[in-house]
Amino acid sequence: MRLLMGIGLIGLLLLFVWERVDIVRVGYHVERLKAQRVLMVREQDELRVKVSALTAPDRLARTATEKLGMGPPLPGQVILVHAGDAAPAQGEPPLPEVRMAKTERYWRKP
Amino acid sequence: MTGADPFRGRRIILAILLMAGFAVVLGRLVHLQVLQAAELSVKADRQHQKSVTVEGSRGSIYDRRGKVLAMNMEVPSVFGVPASLENPSGAARDLARVLRVRADEIEKKLRQERNFVWIARKLDPEQGRRLERLSLEGIGTVMEGRRFYPKGPLLSHVLGFAGMDGQGLEGIERRYDPYLRGEKRSIVLQRDALGRTVFPKGLTEQGPSSGHNLTLTIDEVIQYIAEKELDDAVTAAQAKGGVVIVMEPKTGAVLAMAMTPRFDPNAVRGLAPDRWRNRVVTDAYEPGSTMKIFLAAAALEERAMKPASMIYAENGRMTVAGTVIHDHDKSKWITFAQAIQRSSNVAAAKTAMVLGEERLFRYLKAFGFGERTEIDLPGEAAGLVKEPREWGRRTLASVAMGQEIGVTALQLATAVSAVANGGWLMRPYVVSEVRDAGGQLIAQVTPQVRRRPVTTETARTLGTILEGAVTAGTGSKAAVAGYRVAGKTGTAQKIDPETGAYSSALSVASFVGYVPAEDPRLTIVAIIDEPQGETWGGVVAAPVFRRIAEQALPYLGVSSQEPVKLALAERTGIGMAP
Repeated sequence: MRLLMGIGLIGLLLLFVWERVDIVRVGYHVERLKAQRVLMVREQDELRVKVSALTAPDRLARTATEKLGMGPPLPGQVILVHAGDAAPAQGEPPLPEVRMAKTERYWRKP
Repeated sequence: MTGADPFRGRRIILAILLMAGFAVVLGRLVHLQVLQAAELSVKADRQHQKSVTVEGSRGSIYDRRGKVLAMNMEVPSVFGVPASLENPSGAARDLARVLRVRADEIEKKLRQERNFVWIARKLDPEQGRRLERLSLEGIGTVMEGRRFYPKGPLLSHVLGFAGMDGQGLEGIERRYDPYLRGEKRSIVLQRDALGRTVFPKGLTEQGPSSGHNLTLTIDEVIQYIAEKELDDAVTAAQAKGGVVIVMEPKTGAVLAMAMTPRFDPNAVRGLAPDRWRNRVVTDAYEPGSTMKIFLAAAALEERAMKPASMIYAENGRMTVAGTVIHDHDKSKWITFAQAIQRSSNVAAAKTAMVLGEERLFRYLKAFGFGERTEIDLPGEAAGLVKEPREWGRRTLASVAMGQEIGVTALQLATAVSAVANGGWLMRPYVVSEVRDAGGQLIAQVTPQVRRRPVTTETARTLGTILEGAVTAGTGSKAAVAGYRVAGKTGTAQKIDPETGAYSSALSVASFVGYVPAEDPRLTIVAIIDEPQGETWGGVVAAPVFRRIAEQALPYLGVSSQEPVKLALAERTGIGMAP
């Protein structure tokens, strides 16, 4: 019985030590992954800046006209097709605040 | 008894010694763990823990279609530890090749008697990689956030720029700095014996959150079109500069705000503040004949004039308060509509006299002149509209012609938009959405009506008159094939700073209008400052309006009114009527 208790106690002690060691090990792993993530985010940001700079309208226009010999479409080359219900809605803006210059003696800011 | 244990005495002595040893250890343990516990814990924490203040990265700025206009990136900054350098001149030579600065300048820094010196901050990532490959003793790098504007000078006056420490200094960067700035937070890290970070003290501790992202109403493509056409016009007219605004008249959303000359927000060091001032909102100018739009609005609304009302134009010459007012055309009897379309100064002065000072002043204020438009950009000017009691004998006639009044280009755009949208004066805006780094909506801007200067009926009548200004008046060069255009030209003399009088050589040419006239999608204001040679608004500024509208309307999917004639069918004859 005493032997079993002794083994159990030692087992608990080892478990505690293992847990502490594992926390440190995982801590190092997490830090490595974090550093990796930082590098990847940095690379992603660098690529985003590059893509954005390369797709700047003036660069695209220059490339299209000077290198590819393209030009603006001529009349009749662009045909816009609208479905009946997709036409832009006509009408007045919402939230009318009806203060007419005509009815005010002097216009004052509300 | 075979005899007493000969080693008993020794064992007892050994036991006493061991117990004494244990007692000493136990005593020391109690001393360390109990008596000195608090003091030593603090000392240990100082050695194992490191507290660092971390700032989340600054938020990005996107155009209305999600294109990146400004964003932050971590880049290397290089420093030196002079005490650790064995050969400062050798290190300076190596660094100079990468940093593209003079070696003697770097060497001077490295020879300072200090523990730490900055050599260069916020380098390009490629330079950082080259420095890493050099791996010089006593030279190190740290990463810092740097603001990038990938489109260069595009929209530079609106975006503004952020400073070295990431604070917004101009434009949207300044106005929305509280939203864009990343959160600052202090984090406690656990370190091992080698000083390496193991993990944050609290495992659930989060890093600081990044700043919010902004979505603008600006469209990158329309902005490019506006800037290109403005640049071409300014170059062709050998002008001092110019501005263009493209706005959605029904909402007040600004689609483009262009100025020339521009600057590159990636390299503002050494630039005079004058170069980055957003003149669309900060500078007021005398608009000239474009003010006749609002004179006409007041006259129609007050029923002082009808489009067909006849006005005697005095053969293009009239004396008011001892000064002579001239017209470009020498007309006699003309209708009120023709007076606006031909931009008759004499008829405008007579109309203003019919209206009177108070009524004209009331409408100018109602259209937003003399007060800020409340756009979400810093440094906006209110312009200048004098109270009627301050008006001189000629002021009424002058204001009718757009003199003795100071307006900003933005005020002009919002006021013309009010005519375009049926009489509603909208608050202009450039930021439509604010979202956090996770994409969660923080704030959304909706169109806001400020007031209603005129009725829909007046706005429509005026629209018809302004269409005539393009089809049969001074603005014929603004006509866009396939679309109905309404607008007005303006040519204003500038005050000569030397004489204080109107200059015959310095002028401002402008065109303001909207298209398509029947259902306006775009209000465009084009202003060219001090053009040389031909100075008329109809010659210099109206073509800028046309060229922008020609490109922007198909891009926005606005259908032409012209019957479609297929280019392919025309070339091949297929599908054409016999």
